[in-house]
Amino acid sequence: MDPSEVEFLAEKEFVKIIPNFSLDKIYLIGGDLGPFNPGLPVDVPVWLALNLKQRQKCRILPPEWMDVEKLEAMRELERREEAFAPAPSPYYMELTKLLLNHASDNIPKADEIRTLVKDIWDTRIAKLRLSADSFIRQQEAHAQLDNLTLMEINTIRQFLLDSLNCMYKLRSNRQPASAKSRLADY
Amino acid sequence: MPCERKPMRYGHSEGHTEVCFDDTGRYIVTCGNDGDVRIWESLDDDDPKFITVGEKAYSLALKKGKLVTASSNNTVQIHTFPDGEPDGILTRFTTNATHVAFNSSGSRVAAGSSDFMVKVVEVSDSSQQKTLRGHEAPVLSVSFDSTDEFLASASCDGSVIVWNIEEQTPAISWPLLQKTSDVSNAKSLCRLAFQPAAGKLLAVPVETRVHLYERRSWEHVGTLSDELLTQPINVVAWSPCGRFLAAGSVGGSLAVWDASNKLCLERQKHEKGFTVCSLAWHPSGSQIAYTDTEGCLGLLDGLGTASSSGTGSTKAPAAKPAKDYDDLFDEDDGGPMDEGLADGNSAKEAAAGEDEDEDDFLIPSTGRVRNRGAILDDDVSLDGGSLKLGRDDDDDDAGSSVAPAAAPPAPLRPVYDGPEPTPPQKAFQPGSTPAHLTHRFMVWNSVGIVRGYNDEQDNAVDVEFHDTAVHHAMHLTNSLGHTMADLSQEAVLLACPGTDELASKLQCLHFSSWDTNKDWMVDLPPGEDAKALCLGQGWAAVATSSLLLRLFSVGGVQREVFSVPGPVVCMAGHGEQLLVVYHRATGFGGDQALGVQLLQLGGRKRQLITGEALPLSPRSYLSWLGFTAEGTPCYVDSDGLVRMLNRSLGNTWTPVCNTRETCKSKSDHYWVVGVHENPQQLRCIPCKGSRYPPTLPRPAVAILPFKLPLCQTSTEKGQMEEQYWRSVLFHSHHGFLSSSGYEIDEAARAQSEKEQQELLMKMFALSCKLEREFRCVELAELMPQNVVALAIRYASRSRRMNLAQRLGEIALEKASQLQEDEPWGPEEEEAGVPSARRTSGYGRAEPAADPRRSREEEEEDGEEEDGGELESEETTDATKRSNPFAKEGGSPVTPTPIGKAGRSNPFKVAAPGKPAPASGHLRVANILDSMTSSRKSAPLGGSAATAGKGPVLKPLAPRAKTKAQSTLLQISSNKTANKKTPESAEPAAEPQQQPDAAAPALPPPAENGENKRPKTGFQLWLEENRKIIMADNPDLDETDVIKEAMGRFRTLSADERRSWTERAKGQTGDAADVRKRKRADGGAEDETAESDSESSSRKKKALDASSKLSAFAFNKN
Repeated sequence: MDPSEVEFLAEKEFVKIIPNFSLDKIYLIGGDLGPFNPGLPVDVPVWLALNLKQRQKCRILPPEWMDVEKLEAMRELERREEAFAPAPSPYYMELTKLLLNHASDNIPKADEIRTLVKDIWDTRIAKLRLSADSFIRQQEAHAQLDNLTLMEINTIRQFLLDSLNCMYKLRSNRQPASAKSRLADY
Repeated sequence: MPCERKPMRYGHSEGHTEVCFDDTGRYIVTCGNDGDVRIWESLDDDDPKFITVGEKAYSLALKKGKLVTASSNNTVQIHTFPDGEPDGILTRFTTNATHVAFNSSGSRVAAGSSDFMVKVVEVSDSSQQKTLRGHEAPVLSVSFDSTDEFLASASCDGSVIVWNIEEQTPAISWPLLQKTSDVSNAKSLCRLAFQPAAGKLLAVPVETRVHLYERRSWEHVGTLSDELLTQPINVVAWSPCGRFLAAGSVGGSLAVWDASNKLCLERQKHEKGFTVCSLAWHPSGSQIAYTDTEGCLGLLDGLGTASSSGTGSTKAPAAKPAKDYDDLFDEDDGGPMDEGLADGNSAKEAAAGEDEDEDDFLIPSTGRVRNRGAILDDDVSLDGGSLKLGRDDDDDDAGSSVAPAAAPPAPLRPVYDGPEPTPPQKAFQPGSTPAHLTHRFMVWNSVGIVRGYNDEQDNAVDVEFHDTAVHHAMHLTNSLGHTMADLSQEAVLLACPGTDELASKLQCLHFSSWDTNKDWMVDLPPGEDAKALCLGQGWAAVATSSLLLRLFSVGGVQREVFSVPGPVVCMAGHGEQLLVVYHRATGFGGDQALGVQLLQLGGRKRQLITGEALPLSPRSYLSWLGFTAEGTPCYVDSDGLVRMLNRSLGNTWTPVCNTRETCKSKSDHYWVVGVHENPQQLRCIPCKGSRYPPTLPRPAVAILPFKLPLCQTSTEKGQMEEQYWRSVLFHSHHGFLSSSGYEIDEAARAQSEKEQQELLMKMFALSCKLEREFRCVELAELMPQNVVALAIRYASRSRRMNLAQRLGEIALEKASQLQEDEPWGPEEEEAGVPSARRTSGYGRAEPAADPRRSREEEEEDGEEEDGGELESEETTDATKRSNPFAKEGGSPVTPTPIGKAGRSNPFKVAAPGKPAPASGHLRVANILDSMTSSRKSAPLGGSAATAGKGPVLKPLAPRAKTKAQSTLLQISSNKTANKKTPESAEPAAEPQQQPDAAAPALPPPAENGENKRPKTGFQLWLEENRKIIMADNPDLDETDVIKEAMGRFRTLSADERRSWTERAKGQTGDAADVRKRKRADGGAEDETAESDSESSSRKKKALDASSKLSAFAFNKN
């Protein structure tokens, strides 16, 4: 899965918008949306919110967790905790990127939020690398990783799996080789 | 002891300052709010050396070439003296130190801090610290005793503690001072001091005296005071010799006592009366240097005689520190000059400075802080303040009523304990935030938002529409200084108050205009200010200070002008309605006395509410006024209670929501921006800790549900009742809309009716379950007829025959009323509270009736499991039923029904318009029905009464048969079977036959209907004979007359009666259209029947019907 796919999935998350147009309910395969009343907040998927935003048909209300204080608290927690703290949202990184790129004017303190989310992301990725490192170093067979988001898993999956594969090959080559050598001895 | 007071000179920027002498007495050293320590060679030194120690210096102490200062970065630092090289940091606190002092040898420094701690630090080794904990508030001052054994400190918690330094424990503590929260709030700095040389005494300034305590015993051994010292003493300092004590006070008094004999030797007054915050003795004892809170430095010279007797210079240091401390604190009082510097640093200054900053900037733009204050104070205060400004035009009244709040009429009546008049609330625009804010909402309503900016860069108005399809956003420069605005789908209306030169102006941006001139402006007459304004559909209204209400068309044509009874508080417009709220009188005890007018400005101009009182919660004021999107007046008071007009209950106001219930904290509020009845939404903006939102960040609208304040809404019953009445209330706008000729959403109405019926049925079932049959009957009375039918079925299925029977009676009544009320606008009936609404729609929307009725019927059909079959059955039943009663028309019990019949006459004209022939006979039937029912129910008590009053119900074909049957059964049992009995019995037994049965049954009612609508025989008779009756019984009232008449009519012979009926028939026949003729035919039949055997036949018919019904009921079971 590449990041754009993950982002695509994230676009199904719901976000509140304040439309500036009036429209009855719209009936989509994924569910009914609306009705849209000008000035009244309504929940829509991110993809629609961004689309409307780009057409200047709405204002986006940032999700609840996208708030400087909450993110700061989360960052502290993340730094304190050994393991992964629960992420603010399963798609926090993607949503932050999407919303801040397209609707930064609707999000108060957008820059701070960007920095904070990046901090959280960095902390988590660092943890992830660290645990991957110790995982390989100690040659564990399995590891428990709670509270990882899809995006985070995807950043490391490719590399980790490939390298594990590689190492497995190397190791398994070595053993047969020794066996061979044993054979040769005979 | 005469001394010379040298002129003051400027030393530091204003704020707390401290002063001391160096060991030799050569230099005067001061520190101040500007963070500098200045070293003066003499008072005349024009170019003092200075050492910058921080952004602020709170205190200093100097001894043996070490200059110790407490600065705003929460540290106590050392500088060398006189070079001013930094020599390290002695100690740190979590907030700024307030006072530092050396011991007599200069080896230790004591420092007190705002973090409640006192630290004693070795100068040579700052790691050797002793911390004295025990104060519960910022420390004011510290002082070493001469042997270093004790340390005295004073604190804002009101205590003065003497510490044993080694043990770090309090040796003794006195509660001497007033408690305060912070040094800046303390009345006195309480710079206490131990006697230097002998060290026997501790001097503590307490209010206007100085207490002397004896060391070790800690007994109060004396008090020094002087009549010149009328204000709290800030600082005391011992002369180096320890004999004299100098004191400086708030207000600038200085005094010197001889401690041994407690005589006041010297009194001086600060030349400008500024507060003395620091004192220092010259080591020689001949001079006292002092500083004040304005940053000036002064000197008293010539104390030589006194000091010469004193000993050496050793004492100076003790005095110095004391002075230093004083300096620290007073800085808080002043210091605007230094605010810029101060910002990040000292807690004190920051506190003061930031407060001010907020006042200046934040508050105006967001309104938060000020709000908070207002909330805490009390709601009214918010307006109270502004009222004084705003209502000047109301001159005397306003003035007098406002004044008492601040200064009750003391001059007039020295003692007045009665209720105080409430300052009348100021006029406001609904959905606006206060005008004093620099960034504010001028309007937030369901159309859009108007924001006003009024700061240095910009004075502008932004108009933004929720729906960009209405118009694009606008940005206008507000050169006129508009303070009021309203916004509608057609226009923006702005108004500004007049000034001395300029008249108050009204500006309208009519953006929906199709010509090129999109705006117009009107000057109000001189001296007349716009107070409130609103926009409706095609019109604008302005209320002015001369109690006029001016109407304009939206294009700028002046329309009506009229006076309002009092100063207008607020106005709202919607469609053709104008709602005005004004001061009806002066309120007392915090209440406002508001009146309300509701005017209809459309085609039919009239006043719907004529200046009634507007109910408000106790001690609250109006905070929002408007209409729901559907056009029902609505308002919110400062207690967060939303009330809506209940048109169906004589224009009363019903609380529909208490926004405060949903608030998490006491200071949270909801700022209402709109009310919608369908869907039921209260749109408002949650404001944390304030009454109204800031413009930035842009607030988001939240939606609150409505809830009627019924009792016990936690129970199922209460819940359903609440839902039911809420549904009734929130759908009564359908009635209003249709009656004023607007389109209504039929689907929504049908939906709401269905909802109400379901709720009623649920409540009914619940009451049944609880064995509350009486309650069931009451509920049934609220039901439309078709639902009663269901109820009957429910009752009979659950084997409550008694209940079913009573319900039957109700069903009958309803059926009859239905028919009777048909001529009236059926829309009212549908609203569900028929009786109350009867008057409003009177006869207006009649044409609409039929389609609706039929629709409704269909709907009912759908609802019923049995569908059309049942319905048809019912209709037949009804018709049958009517027959018997028709005959009974002559019976003596008739009074009420006849009254109704009389009422229906006016609609005779309308009658032809009614397509449904059935309705004709039904109508007759109801009269009779109600007669019978009243007769029957007489023994039953309650139900009888209700029956008589007979609420109007749905125009549907009566459903209630089942019950009817049972009741009728009883009656019929007494009566002899008639020719009709068999006939009717058959259909009852077999539903299929009913149509047939209906046919015979129908005609008679038709006849009745005809009689009635045109005139019945009886009525004709009555007309002719009324006078006679009246003459016979002059004291009878209308109903009695009719009763009497009936009695008489009945005594007539059958032939006579027939002739009357024939006459009646003849009349109708002339005017009749096809339908009528039909009826007339029926009538003829009936007539014959009647003539044959009047009363008996009627009864028989009743029997028939009932037997049929009973049969039906039986089938059902």
